[in-house]
Amino acid sequence: MPFSTLLTDYKAPPHVWDEMCDQQAIRSHYQVFLQSLKNDSIAELVKKNELAKKLFMSQGITFTVYSDGEGIEKIFPFDILPRIITATEWSIIERGIKQRVKALNIFLADVYHDQFIIKDGKIPAALILSCPNFMKEMVGVDVSHGIYTHISGIDLIRDSDGSFYVLEDNLRTPSGVSYMLENRSMTYRIFPGTLPKNNVRSIKDYPDLLLKNLMALSKRAISNPTVVLLTPGIYNSAYFEHTTLARLMGVELVEGRDLVVDNAKVYMKTTAGLKQVDVIYRRVDDDFLDPLVFNPKSMLGVPGLYFAFRSGNVAIINAPGNGVADDKAVYPYVPEMIKYYLNEEPILKTVPTYSMNDPEHFSLVFSQINKMVIKKTNESGGYGMLMGNAVTEKEVVEYKKEVEKNPRQFIAQPIISLSTVPCFIDSKIQPRHVDLRPFALYGPQGIEIVPGGLTRVALREGSLVVNSSQGGGSKDTWVLAG
Amino acid sequence: MLSRVADSVFWMARYLERTDNVLRLLRTDYIASQDEILNFDWQRVTDTLSTKSETAMVVTSYHEALYHLVLNKDHDASVFTNIVRVRENARSVQDYITKELWQCLNDYYHIVRDPHTEDLLLQQDPVTALDTLLRESIIFYGTVEVTMNRGDGYTFLNLGKYIERALQSLDLLEMKWDIADEVTEPVSWKYLLYALSGFEFHTKFYRNALQTEDVIHQVLFNTQFPHSVSYSLSQIDRYFQRLKETSLTDNFKEMEFLAGKMVKDIQYTTVNRKDSVAVRELITATRNQILNFSHKLTTLYFGYT
Repeated sequence: MPFSTLLTDYKAPPHVWDEMCDQQAIRSHYQVFLQSLKNDSIAELVKKNELAKKLFMSQGITFTVYSDGEGIEKIFPFDILPRIITATEWSIIERGIKQRVKALNIFLADVYHDQFIIKDGKIPAALILSCPNFMKEMVGVDVSHGIYTHISGIDLIRDSDGSFYVLEDNLRTPSGVSYMLENRSMTYRIFPGTLPKNNVRSIKDYPDLLLKNLMALSKRAISNPTVVLLTPGIYNSAYFEHTTLARLMGVELVEGRDLVVDNAKVYMKTTAGLKQVDVIYRRVDDDFLDPLVFNPKSMLGVPGLYFAFRSGNVAIINAPGNGVADDKAVYPYVPEMIKYYLNEEPILKTVPTYSMNDPEHFSLVFSQINKMVIKKTNESGGYGMLMGNAVTEKEVVEYKKEVEKNPRQFIAQPIISLSTVPCFIDSKIQPRHVDLRPFALYGPQGIEIVPGGLTRVALREGSLVVNSSQGGGSKDTWVLAG
Repeated sequence: MLSRVADSVFWMARYLERTDNVLRLLRTDYIASQDEILNFDWQRVTDTLSTKSETAMVVTSYHEALYHLVLNKDHDASVFTNIVRVRENARSVQDYITKELWQCLNDYYHIVRDPHTEDLLLQQDPVTALDTLLRESIIFYGTVEVTMNRGDGYTFLNLGKYIERALQSLDLLEMKWDIADEVTEPVSWKYLLYALSGFEFHTKFYRNALQTEDVIHQVLFNTQFPHSVSYSLSQIDRYFQRLKETSLTDNFKEMEFLAGKMVKDIQYTTVNRKDSVAVRELITATRNQILNFSHKLTTLYFGYT
């Protein structure tokens, strides 16, 4: 094997799909990239790793943790070796996500209007009504072009046989796309020339596609509608992403205090007086959008915004109320939605999911807890999760009590061993588990997905938790043109 | 543009200009303290450049003074704190300013936090440390000129810069005047000009031994000297005129009057430069005009709360 010096420490774990190695052989789509590394020694990779860190720091691509008034900057851990996806794999992902997002969007329109899916007995009414993110205020509201899920991030994983599963849908304010873009621009700095040589598809169209969609959603008949990006502000951990997207699209980045509602229209406060806003790409959660309708303590939103939205004078992206579709207890019904609304077989698999509300499931799950992961239906970011294979008995007992208090808020799934990819950690190339979050953009002209996404890495050896808040990192994701 | 963004850009420029002026002053004072003045009064420098309300910081050496004025994170008026403010303002308008400008300010922040800078300033050669920091502010101005679009943001940035510069020049002139006595006066004026980067210009323009009247002329009235009050005020007026197209008419007219009056008042003043009382009155009056202009700008253009 020509790469033996670099890959001496590479031992893919058994019963896990490794993206680079098939048994001992290197898969063909990794050959070109590894060939270009052939002349590099470990010492050179160490240098590249340091360069990447320096670039992230000097560009301020950081998370900010605030203490003592001064911002402490942390870089989002970046692994220099790209994850590579073949054209064939991508075509499955692309078709699968388009199908799924389409069905989820119809589901949202249905659930907030006629509720045929409930009336036809495909989804229990109790499940929907008990969902904390089912927003009564959205019932009967027509949204622009019938689109709810303008931007979705669908988390995919690969089981040991290599097939793709959807782990969860993110239909509210999915984040991470700026890291997808920044990781790519890092690659051409640290591996000059390798992108064209590998025939990697470009992802740089993302901001243009998004802006095109946002502009098309304006309800005022004017050629240049005002689009803004609403951020919670500089203390939000995703603030870097908000500024990046606003800059790349050339739209104003506003905070709640920059906006005011008058006569059911939204205006922003400028040095030249008030200017009407047509489209709001909000990165503020539903609950904080409008203190008059939702959380009255919210300082992040705009009083009267919801009324302006209902009056049709402003478009809010993503639509409020999407949480009912990405609820983890609704997740097992998505294949049924695809069949019901589209009359198609689901392209992407779904992880078997046990509702803790069901006493039979409850005892089944706790009888084999070491093979299970229990999640809160309403949380993301890896919070409130119990990995059954990595906890003490005491923790299980305590968690069980929590679940018993409100079983509707929990689901369980068998632990799936995510696929592994080569990572450069501690000056060695080693396998680590990853997932993949591609971003789908739904506009009046249909669904588009830039070829790529955010590959999140569980940096600790053997860990299956990829969330950035739980010690995860990310890496560039290449989709090959063929 | 958004009022909040205009406000942040304005303050970003003000804090940056303030930092630049303080660094130049400290550089000059440090050299003076090493060069010819016995028992240089660092306590006075510290008192002048510290936040007025806080309990007086007692310094016994230039090390302590420089630490307090440049690196002390807990000091509200230190260079460090000002750079953090510059950066926080820039962060909140990161999408508006260019990426290059953001990176340049981010570098500035990392340099002032760098242990190497502290080592240079306190253990080795303070001049090198101060020069390193000054270089960053020069890069900032260059980056603004080369990368920023000439829209309203650029205008507010320049308004902030020249308002702060005019105020700093007035303060410095007053401060040096306070400490000058008959013996030290010529030296004191010399260091004032050094701190304003104006000594070389002075020798070329006035072709005379250093006279108090000439120094006052240069700092207050000389329209060719970029740190003079007159020059700064005419820049404020010039940049403000650019807002005409995008302003609400009433707001613009009110501010235009104030800007025009400031420039003309100092241009056509009949103050005798040898009459120190009258000059001091002029300094106070001009400062009040500038502060009033800045206050109105905040109310009429940045009023977003």
